[in-house]
Amino acid sequence: MLAYLLRRVLSALPAVLGVIVIVFAMVRLAPGDPALLLAGEFADAATVERIRARFGLDRPPLEQFWIFLTGVAGGDLGTSVRTTRPVADDLARFFPATLELAFAAIVVAAVLGVAAGVLSAVYRNTWIDATVTFLSLLGVSMPVFWFGLLAILFFSVNLGWFPVAGRGGLAHLVLPAVTLSTSSLAIIARMTRSSLLETFGQDYVRTASAKGLNDRAVVLKHALKNALIPVVTIGGLQFGQLLAGAVLTETVFTWPGIGRLLVDSILTRDYPVVQGAVLLIAISFIVVNIVVDLLYAVIDPRIRYD
Amino acid sequence: MTDDRHGHEAGAVAGPAVDPAQRPPSDPRGVDPAPRRRRGPKWFRRVSRSPLAVLGFAIIGMFLLVVAFAPFIAPYPPAQQNLRTTYLPPGTGVKLRGPEGQLGLWVSPATRTPVGGVTVDESVAYPVRLFVRGDRYEWLGGLVRSDLKLFGVDGPVRFYLLGTDEQGRDLFSRLVHGAWISLFIGLIAVAIGVVVGVPLGAVSAFLGGAWDLVVQRVVDVLLAFPGILLAIVLVATFGTGLTNVMIAVGIASIPVYARLARGSVLSVKQREFVEAAGALGRARLSTLARHVLPNSLAPIIVQSSLQMAVAILFAAGLGFLGLGARPPQPEWGLMLARGREYLAVAPHVATFPGLAIVLVVLGFNLVGDALRDALDPRG
Repeated sequence: MLAYLLRRVLSALPAVLGVIVIVFAMVRLAPGDPALLLAGEFADAATVERIRARFGLDRPPLEQFWIFLTGVAGGDLGTSVRTTRPVADDLARFFPATLELAFAAIVVAAVLGVAAGVLSAVYRNTWIDATVTFLSLLGVSMPVFWFGLLAILFFSVNLGWFPVAGRGGLAHLVLPAVTLSTSSLAIIARMTRSSLLETFGQDYVRTASAKGLNDRAVVLKHALKNALIPVVTIGGLQFGQLLAGAVLTETVFTWPGIGRLLVDSILTRDYPVVQGAVLLIAISFIVVNIVVDLLYAVIDPRIRYD
Repeated sequence: MTDDRHGHEAGAVAGPAVDPAQRPPSDPRGVDPAPRRRRGPKWFRRVSRSPLAVLGFAIIGMFLLVVAFAPFIAPYPPAQQNLRTTYLPPGTGVKLRGPEGQLGLWVSPATRTPVGGVTVDESVAYPVRLFVRGDRYEWLGGLVRSDLKLFGVDGPVRFYLLGTDEQGRDLFSRLVHGAWISLFIGLIAVAIGVVVGVPLGAVSAFLGGAWDLVVQRVVDVLLAFPGILLAIVLVATFGTGLTNVMIAVGIASIPVYARLARGSVLSVKQREFVEAAGALGRARLSTLARHVLPNSLAPIIVQSSLQMAVAILFAAGLGFLGLGARPPQPEWGLMLARGREYLAVAPHVATFPGLAIVLVVLGFNLVGDALRDALDPRG
C-alpha cells in the first residue's frame, strides 16, 4: 500500500510541475509587462522595480521559472495587489469556505444520488425510472448559477427559509450546497443505476434471492455494496470537479471561497492572487484524485496494486 | 439549409417513434417483418425509436431555426431600449379577449411610472397577429431586406412575450438574437477540440513510444484543471471577451478529444484490417487516416454532441462571471447575470435566459446520449 502510494504520488509529479508551468506562464503570456501586471496598474515605479527584482523578471525564462518554483515550494506566492497581503494568507483565509461547501455538496450528491439511482434501478422501466433518468439529464444540463438563482428566489426571497447570501451556520450552507451538488448528484444517480443493474445479473445476487432473502435485503446488502465501488470512484472525481464548480456557485451566493476570490481577482487584474488560486485549485484536484485511487483500493479488496 | 434538414429529421423520426408497439415483441433487434416501412441506416432507426432522442433532435432543430431566422422571429431589435417600460413582467397588459369580446391576444399599452408600479391603459387594445410589418431588418448579411415579422401587434403598442429587462428591452427578442452566440461558441469549441485534439491523440496512440508519452503527460496537465477552470485560466491570461471565451472553451476541450481519440485508435489499431494494411506496405500515417480513424469515429461524434452542451454551459458560465460577452451583447449568460441584480424585483429577467440555456444544453445532451446508444456496436 505504502509503495503504491509512493508510486502514485511520484506519477502525479509531472502533472503538478505542468500546472506550475502553466500558472508561471499565465503572467508572462498575458499582454503587458509582467512586472506591471504583478505589481498592479496603480503601483509606483519603486514597487514595480521591487517586483521585477523579486521575481527576477529581467533574467532568462528558465531562471525566472526556478525563482517561481522555489517560491511556490516555500509557500511564497507574492503579494496581493488589492490587499497588499501575502497571497498565501489570502488563500488560507478563503480556502476553508470552499472546502466546507464542496464537502457539503458531495454529501448531498452522494446520499440523494445513490438513493435516486437505487430507486431507478429497482423500479427499472417504470415511471420512477423515467423520472429519475430525465431529472438526471436535466441536472447535467442546468447551469448551476441559474439553479442557484431560482433557489434563492423561491426559498430565500419568497419563502424566507434561508438567508440570501453569505457564509454562516447551517442555514447559510443549505442552498449553496444543494446548488453545487446538482450535476454531481445527477452523475452519481446514473452511475448507481447502471452499476446496480449490472450486479443484479451476477450469480451472488441470484443466489441471495434464491436462498429466500427478501428483495430489500438482496438489494441493499448484496447488490448495492458491490455496485457502490465504481460509484465511489465517480463520486471522488466529482469532488474534484466541485472545487472548480464552486467558482460559479460561490459567485451566485457571494460565498467567501476560493472561487469567488479567483473571479474577483481576475476582474480586478490582481494577478498574483489569480496565480495562487488557480494553483491551489488544480493541485487540490490532483491530490483528491490520488486519495480517490487509494480509497478505491481500500474499499475493494480485489484490487491490489503490487 | 442545415435547419431544414434537422427540422425534417425531427419530423421524420416522430413517425416511427410512436409505433414500436406494432413490432413483434419477440424481435428485440428490430429486424422488421415489413422492411419497406423502416428505411435509413441502422443507427438512424435506433435513434428514432427513443422518444428522448426525438425530443433532443426537435429541440436542436428549433434552436437552429431560431438562429437562422432570428430577425424574422424576434419582433423587435435586441438593443432597442424604452425607459418607460422597464421590468415589465410577461403578460403585462395582455388579454385574451378584445374590446368587443373577440377571441385572441390583445395588448394594451403599459408603462412603468417613476414612483414605481405599472399602469395599463385599458381604454385601448390592439390585436397580436401573425406575419405583421415591423422594424426593417437585414437578413443573410444584407441579402434580404424586409420588415416582415413572425408575430407582432397590429397597432402602436408593443407585445413583450417574455417581459422586458432593466432597460425596457424586449426579453424575447434579445433571447432570439442571442441564440447564435451559443451555437457559435459550441461549434467553434467543438471544431477546435476536434481539429487539434483528435489528430494529437490519434497520432500519439498510433505511433506510441516517446511521442505518446509526451503527449499524454501534456494531456494529463491540461486535465488537472477541473471543469471550467482551464477556460478561466485562458481567459484570465489572454483577456476577457466573447472571442477569447470561444477559443478558451475550445482549447479546454482539446484534452478531452485527445484522450478519446487515443483510446479509440488504440482499440482499433489491433484489428486485423489494420495489420493487413501494414503488411501490404502502406505508410503508417496513411493507414491511420484511411483505416483507423474512420473506424474510431463513433465515439468522437457522440462526444461532439455532448461537448457542444459542455461548451455552451461553460461559455454561459464565463458570461455570467463577467469574463465573457460584454453589454449590450445579448449573450444568455450575461443576460442572466444582469437579471441577478434585479432578482427580487423582476425574476423573469434571470429566469428566461436560464431556461433557454437549459433547453439547448438538454437538447445536445439528449442527442449525444441517443447517438451513444445507437452507435454502440455492442447494443
